[in-house]
Formats: sequence, C-alpha cells, structure tokens
Amino acid sequence: MKKTAEIVWIVLIVFTVFAYLLGKLKLVSTFMVGVLLVTTFIKGELIIDYFMGLKDVSLKYRLIPTVWLVLIISLIAISYYT
Amino acid sequence: MNNQVKIKAPYPPGDFAIWLIIYVELVTFGLLFIGYAFSRRGAVDIFNSSQLVLNQTSGFIDTLILVTGSYFVVKAVNAVKTATGKDIKQANTIASKWLFASILFGIAFLINKLLEFSAIFGMGINLSTNKFFMFYLLLTMFHFMHVTLGTIILFNVRRRTKKSGYSAEDHRGIETGAVYWHLVDLLWIILFPLIYIIR
Repeated sequence: MKKTAEIVWIVLIVFTVFAYLLGKLKLVSTFMVGVLLVTTFIKGELIIDYFMGLKDVSLKYRLIPTVWLVLIISLIAISYYT
Repeated sequence: MNNQVKIKAPYPPGDFAIWLIIYVELVTFGLLFIGYAFSRRGAVDIFNSSQLVLNQTSGFIDTLILVTGSYFVVKAVNAVKTATGKDIKQANTIASKWLFASILFGIAFLINKLLEFSAIFGMGINLSTNKFFMFYLLLTMFHFMHVTLGTIILFNVRRRTKKSGYSAEDHRGIETGAVYWHLVDLLWIILFPLIYIIR
C-alpha cells in the first residue's frame, strides 16, 4: 500500500526539527545556512508535488510554483552570501 | 517491465480561479521575502540582534502544526477522491474527521501566533521599531490573515462533507480548499527559516 503522504509528512517533520535544532543549538553558520536552504527547497517541492498534487499535472502548472521556489531560495542565498 | 504510462492531468487540482489567487499570493509574499533578505544585507547587526527577541520554539511549533494540518487535508481529499456508490457517505464521514482535525490545528496555529504577537507587543515592539520588526510583523500578520481565511474555507468545505457532498466525480470544491491550505503551508515553510533561523 502506497504511503506517499505519510512519507512526505515525516520528511517535512524531520527537516523542520533540523531547522529548529540549528537555531536552538546556535549551529547556524554560513555553510549550514546553505544546507538549510537546500532542505527548505526540498520541503517546498514536496508540498508542491505531493500535497498540492502538481506532480501528476501538466508540466507548465508544476513549473510555476517550482520556478518561484527556486527563484526565492536562490535570491535569499545571493543576499546572504554576496 | 512496467509499460504503464501515467497520463498527466491537463489542469491542476481544484478550481482554476484559486490558482490565479495562489500565483498572486506567491508574487506578493515572494517580494516580501526578497525585501527582507536584501534589507538584512544592509543591517546584519540589527537583524541578528532583533531576531534574538523572537521565540524560535513558537515558530517551530507553528511549522509542525501547519505541516501536520496539511497532511490531514491530504487525507481528507484522498478519502473522497475515489468514493463511488454506497461508499460516498462513509468517505465523506472520514474526510469530515480529517478536516475537523486540520481546522483544530489551524485554530491552534492562530492561538499560538496571538500569544507570540502579544509577547512582542508587550515588549513595546511595533512596525516602526526597526526594519527587522517591520518585516517580521508584516509577514507574520499577513500570513496570519491567510491562515484565518484558510481555516474558514476548510470549515465550509467540511460542512459539505456533512451532506456527503463530495465523490470521485465531484471533488473540485474540497481540492480548491485544500490547495489554498497547502499554499499557506508552503509560504510558512520559507518564512520560518528566513525570519526565525537564518542569521
């Protein structure tokens, strides 16, 4: 039996705990911000693909929020690292 | 060898009008996120010291609530999407229970956020305190309004499940409410690390 929603939910929770621990344990460094942004992208894409249900929809509709996500995460990274 | 080719749906789930609203919301919040990130670059010390005032645990709880609420909504939609014939009533009852749980989580988010705002305002902080708090209050309050609207939408969707209103043939309404709720989740997924964690 497919448990896609459960797996996605667990990944989202694990990455959220990771982000929280980074902040709480004061482990936020320039390197870890990069890791955090990558995990944030993965979380966003999981929501777009599996919760919003765009994985099985015509590519153009999947691309709109995905491109938005890539753009926002990239610009946050540029503002942080430059 | 699996020769099955999965045919992609031509349109996204839910009413297409909700997607137009979602695109506008993505642009609006996107501009605020970028505005925050680039404003921070010019005042790193102020942003870092102001961020220490925020309650990271509260932001963490908010994230857990929204992510879990979204999962409940997925379960509700899945329950009715395949319901036909005599299964429709039972599927709607199941969807109703999942939606009830997600509404409770939505309300829990709003209460937690109100407590956070109350603590912030109690310290005398407002929109004009500094740029960090201007963005923090703008983003979180704007998002708060979206969670409020999302909760109201889920409440109305749930009312229709009470009348066994959704089935495999007709589930556009519940999908429309669901994608809006997931948008609220998606926005918070970025807001939380950006405002509460990155320094």
